[in-house]
Formats: sequence, C-alpha cells, structure tokens
Amino acid sequence: MARWGMVINLNKCIGCYACVLACKQEHFLPPNIFWGRVLTGEVGSYPTIHKLMYPVLCNHCEEAACVDVCPTGASTRREDGIVVVDYDKCVGCRYCVIACPYQQRTFHADDKGQYFPDQELTELEIMGKQLYPFQEGTVVKCNFCAERIDEGLKKGLKPGTDREATPACVNACPSTARCFGDLDDPTSEVSVLISEKKAFQLHPEYGTKPSVYYITR
Amino acid sequence: MKPYEWMTTYTPQHEWIEKKGIFMPLAFYFGSLGGGLYLVSLYFNNLLGIVIAWLIVGALKGGAHLIDLGRPFRSWRIIVRPQSSWISRGLILVILFLGIVPVQLFFSFFSPGSGWETLFKVLAGLAALGACVYPGFTLNYVNAIQLWNSAMLPLLFIVSGFLGGFAVLLLVGLFGGTVDLPGIEFGSLIFLGVTVIFILIYTLSVSYTGPSGKVALQELLKGKASLAFWIGVVVLGIMLPFTILLPAYKGISVPEILLFLSALGEIICGSSLTYVILKTGGYSPLIPLSSDET
Repeated sequence: MARWGMVINLNKCIGCYACVLACKQEHFLPPNIFWGRVLTGEVGSYPTIHKLMYPVLCNHCEEAACVDVCPTGASTRREDGIVVVDYDKCVGCRYCVIACPYQQRTFHADDKGQYFPDQELTELEIMGKQLYPFQEGTVVKCNFCAERIDEGLKKGLKPGTDREATPACVNACPSTARCFGDLDDPTSEVSVLISEKKAFQLHPEYGTKPSVYYITR
Repeated sequence: MKPYEWMTTYTPQHEWIEKKGIFMPLAFYFGSLGGGLYLVSLYFNNLLGIVIAWLIVGALKGGAHLIDLGRPFRSWRIIVRPQSSWISRGLILVILFLGIVPVQLFFSFFSPGSGWETLFKVLAGLAALGACVYPGFTLNYVNAIQLWNSAMLPLLFIVSGFLGGFAVLLLVGLFGGTVDLPGIEFGSLIFLGVTVIFILIYTLSVSYTGPSGKVALQELLKGKASLAFWIGVVVLGIMLPFTILLPAYKGISVPEILLFLSALGEIICGSSLTYVILKTGGYSPLIPLSSDET
C-alpha cells in the first residue's frame, strides 16, 4: 500500500496562489475556508533581504495529533496515509483544530456565507453544494484530493504522474514546485527529492511526522 | 492580527475562546467547580453542597458544552474514543459522576453510614476528581501550545475547583445552610495560598518553554489578557478573599457581605484563570524566520 506524500520546492514557488485557488475550485470550498495557504515573510535587513514563500497545507502526519484527540473517531488516518474527516461523525468540538500544530483545519461554522451575497447562488455553487455537501458545525480540511487519487487508482493511473489522479494543487503549480508520490517507494520522485535535496518538515519537534516535505535547492 | 501575520508570528488560538467558543472555558470551569464542590462537600458531609455540585456539573457544564458543539445532537458519539481523547475520557467521567451521585444521595438519606453509602461516596469522589482535573489534561495534551503544555495545568484546575468548592459552600452557609464556617474559612485560606504558589510555579515554568511560551506569558501579564489576570485572578480572586478570610478565621467578626464578596472573589479567581489560560494559548510560527534556513 502506498504512503502518499508531497515535496514542495521553496526555490521554485513564486507565490502566485494558484494552488490555493485550484484547491478552492476543486472542492467548491465555502467562503473564508482555505485548505491550502501561502505564507509570506521576510528575513534579513536591507540590502540583503530574502522573501519567503511557504505553501502550507495539511501535512497528513503519520502521528497525527488531530486523529488522537478526536473523541468521535471522525478524524482517521487511512492506510495510504491520508488523514480524512468523516463529516457524519464530526460533532464540532474543534479539539482537532486546537491540537493541530500547523493550524490546517477549519471549523465550518455555518453555511450562510456566499461569494456573491447580492445575488442568488451561481450554477457552479449549486453544483458544488451537491458534489461536496459540507455540513455546518463540522471541521473540514485538505484530503490530498483523495477522491481524485481513489478514482485514478481504479483506472490504473499513477498519482503524482498522471494528472487526473494527482491533487489539484500539484497540477495547478505553474513552476512545478510541488511533487506528489509514494513515500514508501524509494524510486519515486518524492523519495529521491527527499533524500538528495535534504528535505525538511515543519516543526519536526512535535513528533507528528508530517508527510509534506520542503526543499530549498 | 493582520492576515499576513497568521502563523508567521505567535498566533493565538481562537476556536475555544471566541464566539461560541467562549462556552469552552465556562464548561471547563464549571466541571472543575462542580468536582471540587463535591469533594469539599463530601469532606464536610454537606448533602446540599453535593446536590449543588451535581447540578453545576449536569446543567451548567453540560449545557455549556452542548451550546459550544457544532453538532450537539451527535454528542453521544463523544464517548467512543477514551483510548486517546481526553474529551472522551472527560465525558465518561462526567456521566459516571452524574449517575453515581444520585445513588450515593439515596444511600445517604435512607441508609447513612452504611457500607453502600461509603462505596458510592468513594466512586463519586473519584469521578468528581476526574471531572475536576480532565480539562487540565485536555489542554496539557496539546503540545503545539507551549503555554498549555505544562504539568502544572491539571493541578491548577484541581486547585481552582477546590477553591470554588469552598466558596460555594461558604455561600450555602451565608444563605442559611448548616456549614462548618471556620473549617471552610481555613480551607479557603489554604487553597488561596496553594493557588498563589501554583500560579507562580506555572508562570515561571512557562517562561522556560520557548519563544511562543514567552510571548503567551507576556500577553497574560502585560497584554490583552492582563486585565482579566491582574483584576480577576490576583486582586478579586486572591487578595480580596485573603484579606477578608484571614481576620474572619482569626475570630474577628466580619460582616456577612464581606464574606459574600470573598466567596464571589474565589469563584472569579478560578473562572478568570481558566479564561486567561485559554485566551493566551497560541501557536509557534510555521515559517522558520532564520537566515540559516533560507
């Protein structure tokens, strides 16, 4: 069984936010909910300043704090490493939101938000509510486009290589900063990048063992 | 906080303090208060205090939790993961407390002094202690928030629960109930002293946890939670009750209105402490803002 992971090349990221928007579009996310973000910062002082652009998303940790603290078993980690939320079981206690060191979970408080408040829902929004019926009062988060991966595998496609089976954020990146694949396959591109480019994880001291790695070369 | 500062600087938690989340610190405090009141009432053998404790845990704590939940009608699901979730364990302890206390009261009324009464008092006492302390462990488990990741936190919840318990029992006495007033005054003074020591140890230990812990501590002592801390916890919660109860314990006659204020002060102490701890809990930045890592 594969263990899905992602490598993000920070030197290639241009901060265009295409990944953020692709994710929003793919899952018809309600207003004010983001499953991926790009954090920006600066280090150094004039004249040697470096701008940092860090695309962040759910790290689908091997030792996910959110899974441990969930009192209803709504948050679970699949065999392939993807951490998902069962919206039918989620009781909305937000303990997982509190426990996540990366703050990549969002509480969907209510369904009242609209992108165009002065007009009715667009056809796309109506379709989105049918395809992704998020429940009010539950917690939502990135799922590595699990539905694309699962459908792709059924068709014999390879996630990370075949676009149809690859997460939307990876496909959308114009500078190919993101790479997706099987972390347990030593010959996969993600595994090679991790070992050759000295990849690092965010906050490894928390012991969560994230499946998202970053490289700077 | 500006949008670009999110998770690039110390980012306070907001789910359990803003909007409906304000009911979480209330629920945590009511649980500690109810558990502490039960144990104090058990010590003084005060059945009215036991009944009030049961009502606080059942109605106030339970009600606050149900208001806070996004899907309260699914709350029955919360008990299914005691192996890893402190919220699950907490609810089981609360349910045990709510179930065992009426049985204990039955034996206390109809068979006082019997072995059954003792057995159910022990069981209810253990459940009360659990209900009192589990909020501390719930927060303590979150190692992402350095302010909460302290072994002192469960102890602080126990102490504030007992302090509140003594306060409520004092109010029961002031409103006509039969209580051991000198005993309650002495107990309150002891727990006020313990609270001071524990708060000092807690703040000192948090200052050694890391950058986010230090920032959280600054918020607690000088920042947005400082008013609630200094006025609610220190002045009204510790200094006021101490200055009233010490002369009262020494035998000096103290007007009942002052005793009433000291009891309120003790309750304000515990509730304010819970509030400021949740208000100032925050996360370390995600971006490593160090030149070496760019």
